[in-house]
Amino acid sequence: MRARSTLLLLLPGLAFLLVGFLLPAVAMLFAPPGVTFAQVIERMGAMLTDPYDLGIIWRTVRIGLIVTALCVVLGFPIASLLARSQSRWAGVLLALAIFPLLLSNVVRTFGWLVVLGSNGVIGQLLTGLGIVEKAPQLLYTELAIVLGLVQLFLPLAVITCYSAVAQVDPGLDEAARGLGASRTRSFWTILVPLSLPGIVVAATLVFAGSVTAYTTPYLLGGSSQRMLSTQLFSYASVTVDWAAASATAIVMTVLVFLVSGISALVGRKGATS
Amino acid sequence: MTTPAAELVGVSQRFGSFTAVDSIDLRIPRGRLTTLLGPSGCGKTTTLRMLAGYASPTSGRILIDGQDATRTPPEKRDLGMVFQSYALFPHLTVADNVAYGLTMRKVPAPERRRRAGEALELVGLGHLGDRRPKQLSGGQQQRVALARAIAIRPRLLLLDEPLSNLDARLRVQMRAEIRRIQSETGLTVVLVTHDQDEALEMSDEMVLMRAGKVVQTGAPRDVFPAPADRFVAEFLGYENFLTLADGREAAVRPEHLRIVPADAPLDGAADGGVVLDAVVVDVAYRGVDLLVTLDATDPAGAPVRLVADHRADHRSDHSDAATGPAPSAGDRVRLLAPRARLALLTAEPATEGLS
Amino acid sequence: MTGQTLNQGAGRSLRLRHPVAGTLAVAGYVIMIVPILFVVATAFTAGSTLRFPPEGLSLKWFGEAVAYSPFTEAVVSSLELAVLATALALVLGVPVTLAIHRGRIPGKGLLEGLFLSPLVVPELVVGLALYQQLMIGLHLDNFTTLLLGHTALLLPYAVRVTGASLALADPALEEAARGLGASPLRAFVTVTLPMLRPGLISAGLLGFVTSFNNVPLSLLLQTRDFRTLPVTMLDYVQQSYDPMVAAASTLVLAATVVVAVVAERTVGFAKIFGGINR
Repeated sequence: MRARSTLLLLLPGLAFLLVGFLLPAVAMLFAPPGVTFAQVIERMGAMLTDPYDLGIIWRTVRIGLIVTALCVVLGFPIASLLARSQSRWAGVLLALAIFPLLLSNVVRTFGWLVVLGSNGVIGQLLTGLGIVEKAPQLLYTELAIVLGLVQLFLPLAVITCYSAVAQVDPGLDEAARGLGASRTRSFWTILVPLSLPGIVVAATLVFAGSVTAYTTPYLLGGSSQRMLSTQLFSYASVTVDWAAASATAIVMTVLVFLVSGISALVGRKGATS
Repeated sequence: MTTPAAELVGVSQRFGSFTAVDSIDLRIPRGRLTTLLGPSGCGKTTTLRMLAGYASPTSGRILIDGQDATRTPPEKRDLGMVFQSYALFPHLTVADNVAYGLTMRKVPAPERRRRAGEALELVGLGHLGDRRPKQLSGGQQQRVALARAIAIRPRLLLLDEPLSNLDARLRVQMRAEIRRIQSETGLTVVLVTHDQDEALEMSDEMVLMRAGKVVQTGAPRDVFPAPADRFVAEFLGYENFLTLADGREAAVRPEHLRIVPADAPLDGAADGGVVLDAVVVDVAYRGVDLLVTLDATDPAGAPVRLVADHRADHRSDHSDAATGPAPSAGDRVRLLAPRARLALLTAEPATEGLS
Repeated sequence: MTGQTLNQGAGRSLRLRHPVAGTLAVAGYVIMIVPILFVVATAFTAGSTLRFPPEGLSLKWFGEAVAYSPFTEAVVSSLELAVLATALALVLGVPVTLAIHRGRIPGKGLLEGLFLSPLVVPELVVGLALYQQLMIGLHLDNFTTLLLGHTALLLPYAVRVTGASLALADPALEEAARGLGASPLRAFVTVTLPMLRPGLISAGLLGFVTSFNNVPLSLLLQTRDFRTLPVTMLDYVQQSYDPMVAAASTLVLAATVVVAVVAERTVGFAKIFGGINR
């Protein structure tokens, strides 16, 4: 294919990418309506010293880390079970783990309202069994957000780890066992190290998703458990504070880029060593 | 002399600073099978792809049937190409694969079916037209690729390492098969290979290439006993290299070195051949013969390590009383290389074109 | 010891028998699946709160959900947007894929990275950017802005998923077609396009679902005239707390199951998300 026809193929896509994504994204940083770039930076400086704003940033990072850890801890066993099982149920279970990815986040998160709400399943269960007098406040807590986000991103962790595990030769496990490693030793010394690049990718995707998710903190965290995303929406839509909205957007983007960058470095190091 | 089926004139192909093909001249004789032979990276596949139109030469001209085709796109060249991967269309049946080129040429359906059927018959797969390529074995896929290329009645049939993906037994069968098809159709065939046995067995003409250049050309019977230089000799399986007393380099094949007892009479030396005293280093049993590794000093006085095939079974080796008992490591022996078996190498590679 | 004789079998179902891994896996499935089941259960309640167990069985909330015009209008809007954005992303993305995989141009890695870049910037941030710059700045109407944004968001899927199909296809197939007399366009239609089919279906389904379900990108781009379904449902949940959303959610779930079945029948459900070849 000649260079000229190649360019012709690229041009329409590039145009759309520029108008629908790149130009607005760059313009937002430098020229929010009626605000100067300096004001955005100033607002960001204020944000990084203000205890309330810092609290939101820290909550976002904290929740992101907890959700990431939980997704890896729960997702990797599922992935390794499914990838290694010869059972025909493995296919069904895999489909069941992937299916939620197609389902609306609103629908999935809504389920937790039913489970955690004041008249919800857990509250009813605890009071019904006489364990507590009054149903505990579960909704609008960090726990609720964490549960909601784990539900949201666990399928992503499962399929990413699954691809990684499926690429590890099952013969290696047999070799390790033959050399005297127990099942558990073989798991930790063979499967986990060889799947590590996939685990790193899974962790990165989950973290980036968790710290930018909107639906879950909005529905399950409410106004008492603000995260960067809900805060950003509130600046943009309720208080219409463009400088603050842009500053929050920058903080959020930098956070995601930072973690992606670190994981890319880790991945590259893992690949070369 | 008739016009060659195809001709390359000063053709080069450069990728950045790398020269894949370096100003080669080549004439492909009509109705014959020409092989481009060489190690990987020698430019043979690039040459074939330029001939087919998949790559444009950086400089030089390509003539097909005497007409300039340098800038002609592949679909207008009327050549049949068999790819190393076969490149069968997985979504089409075998019959539709073979008919594809005829469809593109707007051949009416009944004739298309007939000609596709004929092509499949020619490769012995007339009964498999309804299958999908994936349902066929590697050897069958190879035949379909061949039928697809032949069905359009191409001006040239181009084969890019066509046998490299087959197992050893099938490969040997297909050599004869391709020769048969070539002689039945009278097609001009250009075949790319890195396998010297394949080239020797199949070619009317061999073109040996190295580093983008043609090193030697000629019929197998002419090239094999007289490799032009050390590279060609090594590539054709010469394993022993000696510097003669007059300073010229000679190559000898292991089967042409004869091991005789150290005290055997020297009548072999009389005809101008080479006689060397040697020590056996290692003996490997190979069924039909022994592979004997020896250390010797060549006529120019330099130490050399040589290998010789030695017949294990003397009873079938009826006449040669001089062969003696099987050698073993540490034995002092004498090596004979008859004059006629010494391939004298020239320093300059011969690069005359095919005619 | 039976461990010796069971060794083969143990190698296969390996970690299934490991108690810790098994427990974690079960916990994972409970978190992923159980809340969804409760949504379905409460949708059939005869009562008027999100109480569990439901107070009697009834289909009345389904009736209410289907009759609630903000929902029905939003369904139409979301379908319209998702279909158009997916089609546009494929029409724009396939040529890009071809250029990246078959073209002879420098900087292909960079180019591919550029087209995948909408995936790395948080969608909420992109939504804010489009809201500020296109809707407020350039006074574009919100449908156009949504379409631009969703198309840009789906371009990575189109480029990557069809690219995966193309990467699997032998480039010699197109050369073979050319050598047999097909023009470049003819070779594309008769050989390349059929090779791309699984990728096109995967990218289409994935793109459609992604656009239809999107909240963060669409969130700031809503107007009274054109609202998308997920955002409408989100707002409704925030205001009133009745089982109608559970019914609407159950209908969305049912539709998603249909999409999943279509996916399974056409290209294989698991393959849609790439890297999984069972």
